[in-house]
Amino acid sequence: MARERRAPAGPFDYSRKLSLRLVFIIGAIFLYAPIVVLVIFSFNDSRRGGNVIWKGFTTKYYEKAFNNDALVEAFINSLAIAFISTLIAVILGALTAVVLWRFRFPLKPVFEGMVSLPIVIPEICMGVSLAVFFSSFGLYVPRDMPFPLNLTNIIIAHITFSFPFAAMVIRTRLNSFNREMEEAAKDLGATEFQVFRDILLPHMKPGLVAGALLAFTLSLDDFVITFFTSGPNTVTFPIKVYSMVRFSVTPEINAASTILILITLLVTFLAMRFQSFEEPRQ
Amino acid sequence: MNKSESPIISVKGVTKRFGSFTALQDISLDIRPGEIFALLGPSGCGKSTLLRIIAGLETATEGTVAIDGQDMTGIPANKRPVNMVFQSYAVFPHMSVADNVAYGLKLERRPAAEIREKVAEALAQVHLSDFAHRKPDQLSGGQRQRVALARALVKRPKVLLLDEPLSALDAKLRDAMRLELVKLQESVGVSFVIVTHDQSEALAMADRIAVLKDGVLRQLDSPAALYKRPVDRFVADFIGSINMFAVTGRRAEGGDAARLETAELGAIAVPAAHLPAAGKGALTLAVRPERVKVGAKAQKEAQGEGGLVSVAGRLGDVAFQGNSSIVEVLLEGGGSLSALVSEAEADHLMQAESGSPITAWWALDDMLILPENATAA
Ligand SMILES: Nc1ncnc2c1ncn2[C@@H]1O[C@H](COP(=O)(O)OP(=O)(O)O)[C@@H](O)[C@H]1O
Ligand SMILES: [Mg+2]
Repeated sequence: MARERRAPAGPFDYSRKLSLRLVFIIGAIFLYAPIVVLVIFSFNDSRRGGNVIWKGFTTKYYEKAFNNDALVEAFINSLAIAFISTLIAVILGALTAVVLWRFRFPLKPVFEGMVSLPIVIPEICMGVSLAVFFSSFGLYVPRDMPFPLNLTNIIIAHITFSFPFAAMVIRTRLNSFNREMEEAAKDLGATEFQVFRDILLPHMKPGLVAGALLAFTLSLDDFVITFFTSGPNTVTFPIKVYSMVRFSVTPEINAASTILILITLLVTFLAMRFQSFEEPRQ
Repeated sequence: MNKSESPIISVKGVTKRFGSFTALQDISLDIRPGEIFALLGPSGCGKSTLLRIIAGLETATEGTVAIDGQDMTGIPANKRPVNMVFQSYAVFPHMSVADNVAYGLKLERRPAAEIREKVAEALAQVHLSDFAHRKPDQLSGGQRQRVALARALVKRPKVLLLDEPLSALDAKLRDAMRLELVKLQESVGVSFVIVTHDQSEALAMADRIAVLKDGVLRQLDSPAALYKRPVDRFVADFIGSINMFAVTGRRAEGGDAARLETAELGAIAVPAAHLPAAGKGALTLAVRPERVKVGAKAQKEAQGEGGLVSVAGRLGDVAFQGNSSIVEVLLEGGGSLSALVSEAEADHLMQAESGSPITAWWALDDMLILPENATAA
């Protein structure tokens, strides 16, 4: 190492070491090449989405996707489920995180373990158990309920698997909270509630945003658990795409997926903007 | 020393236990209006705990705290008329400097115009007027501390509590800040209670100092009295530097004298009146380096009638300290002692070779006879 003329590369100087650069490039290709291909071929003027031969540029599959009522409905369902389940998951996750961080109580480790258990339980098991739970207790919401109440079961299922993630992220954020901050606020005259609202909540905000982002993306692309808890009338985007792919892969699916990617990117971008407004560099 | 005013804070018999561990034991002390009061002691002796009990952030297991004559038992931190500057400063990172300072006033629901005026005044007081709109992450440590000071002072507390206010600053800033805190206290007029483990800080700033050790109040006195008349070995050792010799034997010697044996100095006859009245444990003889004279031969000077203690030794290291030097004397009976000498004396001594015979002496009246612990029964 000492023989190098330049200072030896530190452990985090990724760009300085050729081997690391190579790993990075290969990783990036594996991650993004399929997505790039998907986006490119959503504009391919071919009848088969999996066709690797470029037949000319067209946007007609976007048009087709927008005119596919079933696909649009599935899309709207997915977004509604994601928004509602994220909102509730973050609130539940935040409350859980604060309780776990703040209080000592008997069996706390057990409780803590139980909260994070859904993260490691295989999705298929959760899907089956939720389905069995809903049906054996007669908890399925009738199919003819108005939107979005007809999605209640899926929303509950999504909250169940996404709130532990939100709780973990927020809990981690809370670990960096300086308790003297809380005491300082109290010393200046703040009540418990004012401490929470004025001091703790602003500190938690990046955790809330990150938790929400996680819950949102988890919900948006969930297939397994949704598959088990949805009825025939409540189809989500991933399930719709799956059923379409079973017949044939058309560029329509590419187009719809591209729109989904765009929405995810937009949400992420907005969340990050929001965060950098509220929380300047530490 | 004999102010007739009633104390602004009165701590009575405060004991604090964390489980089976006793952090504070039966502490009683009064803090006077307008004074700088230091809580001094080594790390872990319970200083912060006592400060937090006064602030209401911790509850005493036994005993009471009264602020301005009012018993504070059961009154939570947010309702007490004292404010605190925390060791980490605890400046709110998501609020601007001005918002940090305004926070306590906003909680009091004061009118906006009044808040603005008071915040501006407080920021001017700590020289932060130009930084009002900065966020704390754009400030230096010293500036963050000023925010914490302004934030607490703007509430017009009856007492300002400061937990190790200077420990997080670098050495140069620390010295400047000492002076500035004293000036600030003079201008606002409220009492400051300053927690510190640095005896020089306490000596330089405080009007009175309470020395704590393992949760016990060892001595409460003015800086000069602590230095000149420490009540026990711990206080003498903790405040300033001092030469100490353990007493190994003690014999009454007719009339009002006693003979104390030490390994280093041999037997010394002292008037019984010099012996400590209270305390237990082995005795220690102690003398400050600036009271020790060195030379070829002991010379009695015109000071006191109590006689001299002199001891033979050899010249050790001489450490230059600017306008004075510390001379190390290696004693024949083992051990060593240090003496503070003037520049001229040091020059003279430097001519002698290291290891050459030398005598150290001091007036008997300058020698302290200390118990191990004056408070122990
Ligand atoms: N909340 C607590 N629980 C248990 N022990 C504590 C707690 N707070 C302080 N202590 C203990 O009490 C002793 C005094 O602490 P402290 O007042 O912070 O000391 P210092 O004089 O250094 O400020 C220490 O030994 C510390 O470990
Ligand atoms: Mg402390």
